[in-house]
Amino acid sequence: MSENHHYKKKKKDDIIRADDKWEPIGHTPMPDIPDLRNWDMRLLKTYKPFYAPMCDLCCFCTYGKCDLTGDKRGACGIDISAQQARVVLMACCMGMSAHGAHARHVIDHVIEKYGAEYKISLGDQISVEAPNIRLVMGLKPETLGDLEKVITYVEGQLIHLVSALHTGQEGSNLDFESKALHVSMLDHVAMEAADIAEIVGFDYPKSTADTPLVELGWGAVDRSKPVILLVGHNPLTGVRIADYLKEHNLQDKVELAGICCTAHEVTRHDDHAKVIGPLSRQLFFVRCGIADVIVTDEQCIRTDIPIEAAKAGSAFIATCDKACYGLDDLTDKNTGDIIKAMTESGKQALIFDPDKAAEVAVKVALELGPKRDKTLVKPGEVPGLCKDHKLCNMCSQACPNLLEVGDSIEAAKNGNLQPLVEVFNKCIGCGKCEQECPRHVPIFKMMQAAASWETGKLRVGRGPIMDTEIRKVGAPIVLGTIPGVIAIVGCSNFPEGADEVAEIAEEFAKRKYIVVLSGCAAMSVGMKKDKDGKTLYEKYSPNFEAGGVINVGSCVANAHISGAAIKIANIFATLPLRGNYEVIADYILNRVGACGLAWGAYSQKAAAIATGFNRLGIPVVLGPHSAKYRRLYLSRKEEDDWTVMDGRERKLVDTGEPSPEHLITVVESKERAMITLAKLCIRKNDTPQGRQLKLTHYIGLYKQHMGSLPDDLHLFVRKTSDIPIFFKKEVMAYLEKVGWKEKQVLTLPTLIGTYESDVSIDSVIH
Amino acid sequence: MTGNLPYHRVNVLTGTKAARIIEDPAEYALLIKKATRPLLVVGPRALTMSLDSKPILDYAIEIARTLNIPVCATAHTRKKLVESGIEPASSYDLMEIINHLKDPQWCGVKKEGNHDLVIFIGVRTDLAEQGLSTLKHFARHLRTMTLCKYYYPNASYSLPNLKDGKWKEFLDGLITNLKENAQ
Repeated sequence: MSENHHYKKKKKDDIIRADDKWEPIGHTPMPDIPDLRNWDMRLLKTYKPFYAPMCDLCCFCTYGKCDLTGDKRGACGIDISAQQARVVLMACCMGMSAHGAHARHVIDHVIEKYGAEYKISLGDQISVEAPNIRLVMGLKPETLGDLEKVITYVEGQLIHLVSALHTGQEGSNLDFESKALHVSMLDHVAMEAADIAEIVGFDYPKSTADTPLVELGWGAVDRSKPVILLVGHNPLTGVRIADYLKEHNLQDKVELAGICCTAHEVTRHDDHAKVIGPLSRQLFFVRCGIADVIVTDEQCIRTDIPIEAAKAGSAFIATCDKACYGLDDLTDKNTGDIIKAMTESGKQALIFDPDKAAEVAVKVALELGPKRDKTLVKPGEVPGLCKDHKLCNMCSQACPNLLEVGDSIEAAKNGNLQPLVEVFNKCIGCGKCEQECPRHVPIFKMMQAAASWETGKLRVGRGPIMDTEIRKVGAPIVLGTIPGVIAIVGCSNFPEGADEVAEIAEEFAKRKYIVVLSGCAAMSVGMKKDKDGKTLYEKYSPNFEAGGVINVGSCVANAHISGAAIKIANIFATLPLRGNYEVIADYILNRVGACGLAWGAYSQKAAAIATGFNRLGIPVVLGPHSAKYRRLYLSRKEEDDWTVMDGRERKLVDTGEPSPEHLITVVESKERAMITLAKLCIRKNDTPQGRQLKLTHYIGLYKQHMGSLPDDLHLFVRKTSDIPIFFKKEVMAYLEKVGWKEKQVLTLPTLIGTYESDVSIDSVIH
Repeated sequence: MTGNLPYHRVNVLTGTKAARIIEDPAEYALLIKKATRPLLVVGPRALTMSLDSKPILDYAIEIARTLNIPVCATAHTRKKLVESGIEPASSYDLMEIINHLKDPQWCGVKKEGNHDLVIFIGVRTDLAEQGLSTLKHFARHLRTMTLCKYYYPNASYSLPNLKDGKWKEFLDGLITNLKENAQ
């Protein structure tokens, strides 16, 4: 053992308070890049990286550009697989950095406000407060100061991971993938630290499922009042604005509304705030001019937002060092002078102090609100707006969602708004159509008349799943009698509009899966109503139970979804978490029927979130846009080796069962997505009763959308007791036809023991 | 617009290796006829696109029938294909079939060996471009061909961007040529 090793171990022991024996310390507390590499390589042996290179070239260094087609390598020696894996690592590093920097910002802020010794409490129903942090670091965070240790560790790892991207470093696609998995695991750690800091620092709901319902939609905003719009993901300034309004009895006089995750976060702090909607409605709403003041923080904000704000006549305040837009820093200027400059000469402000930014935002909104005209375009005005339109279809060609924008404008010109309504419903909000138009048709302005101004409801993000809930559902999930947990996450870059996500969510809620949502996907679901005018949040239980529809909150609240899976292993199966990553990930992969759906992922953060789920053994299904980071982890079900260790018998068993079949895959239609989600909830550990239930849903969805029994059904039937009674006759006939033979049902399937690891098989027995 | 840019700009090629554009249905038919083990991959847009009220799925079925080309029905196209009298040889989803195709040793959908020509129709262009990129880079043992009305730079053979009238003319011509070749 090297001197350096001892030094690092001592340092880690100090950080995680190794002498504090709350749990035995596993093999990988505060892992460095190599520590979980063997686990990654084992995963990648079954789920091989699949690349769809975004570019034939590498353009990263001055030796290039280098053509990497065919057998060619770049001037540095890299091949196309490694180069694409490098791009994936870069995306995951960006994603984790965004969450990590957010966490750092919030943690520093709350420590400054409350002190490093301030105790963390998430309410009386949550003892395992930070499952990701406990698992990865081996630290049980007790104070805000402990959260700082967490983010310091994450930052330290990041420098090595980004370094690997440099020319002349890593050369293997598999090692790039291992690093992507590492940084993405850390993403969940950073997200968890960020959200805990916010829950503690901003008084979000704690230990409750039944959080308030808030108004949702661009139509929810009362335009007759001054309106402040928040855009981004960091609530520091947003919560101060909410507080300022409350402190000055202005809550009924000023509208505070948000787009994207800041909206989630501010409504968790104060349910008077409203949610405009997901990312895809940002440009539309800004161009509507309804906002008197736009306040930005960080991530997923249009980078031309100061220009758009100026065009719309909205005042503009940037508040985050990550997104300064070339504005003058007015943080140290007199508040009155800033307000005067903004209201009289339209000056846009950069203000880093949340208290000052809040005061300025409210006062400017009160000043400007009554003076601004917020009249929207009426349907009768639309033909006039597009009178210069010619059907050149440059807008359609520019549309990244492949929409027939040109045809819809043509129809609108002739007085038929319906095609434009359909385009609006599927619009991802990039604005390229209008930019491309040689005749400057104001397409987004026309959409004001095409958009529905109906409102929806969003259940306020609840944060972590409670330990008490895990105790109730742990056994049914692991045994399979709750057929699965479907986590619908990510952005609103949907191929066919938001309704599809709501349809998928409801299909699984009806089938008594647990449906968990976050981020823009959670908002999108809240916009769809049934014939009685109810949203899914009003129709289904908010509890983490069969048939529940749960909004955990913003992007960083995704850590509570991975956290729930970890808690099942810990609370139900009593496996220790502390620095015990391989054991827990192996447990989740083989036993916890959870599957993610990133139907409209857009950001690099989404890439990191998904890849972090993958290292933890949770498969993810992507929509067509979400796959544009161009790497999947796929198996080939018939050919690949599905051997696992039978932990009780301690012998290798070739199960022949591809469960889960893929770690991350992409599908083209919502129908296929539903079939794939149901299949990817199947686990080797399912009891016959659980497998029957899971196959009931898989077969049911497959028959509904594909018209027959699944053509891989025989791979998932181990014994006749697995066959759903409802389909028994036809399944038996099918099995006979394909020559199916009974297989062993394992009670302790594990990958531990199938690859080189310090972890013993004893560790997985509980 | 130039024929060397895909209709949907989101699919523009950043690279060096682009498809050969072919407009002549006879040449396309010859390439298909020359293939030893062609495969037709039919995506879900074949269910929603049509030409003069004739669904693109019907064109796909006719093409498959002329030379008895096995079909891989991706997404949820299987149901409609079966209702139309075609039993797909495979129901792998798009990236699953591509994942198999890139292995030269794979046995193919009919267990007779991997395919040497893969023909795509009805897949949304952005996802098709992703899959075609995979095959361009990692499946040099086979050629790819697209039948939709857009230019796909990552394919081996692609149509140029076509208006519906020309596209219909091409597909009708292709079917006629395939039938002639089949006789």
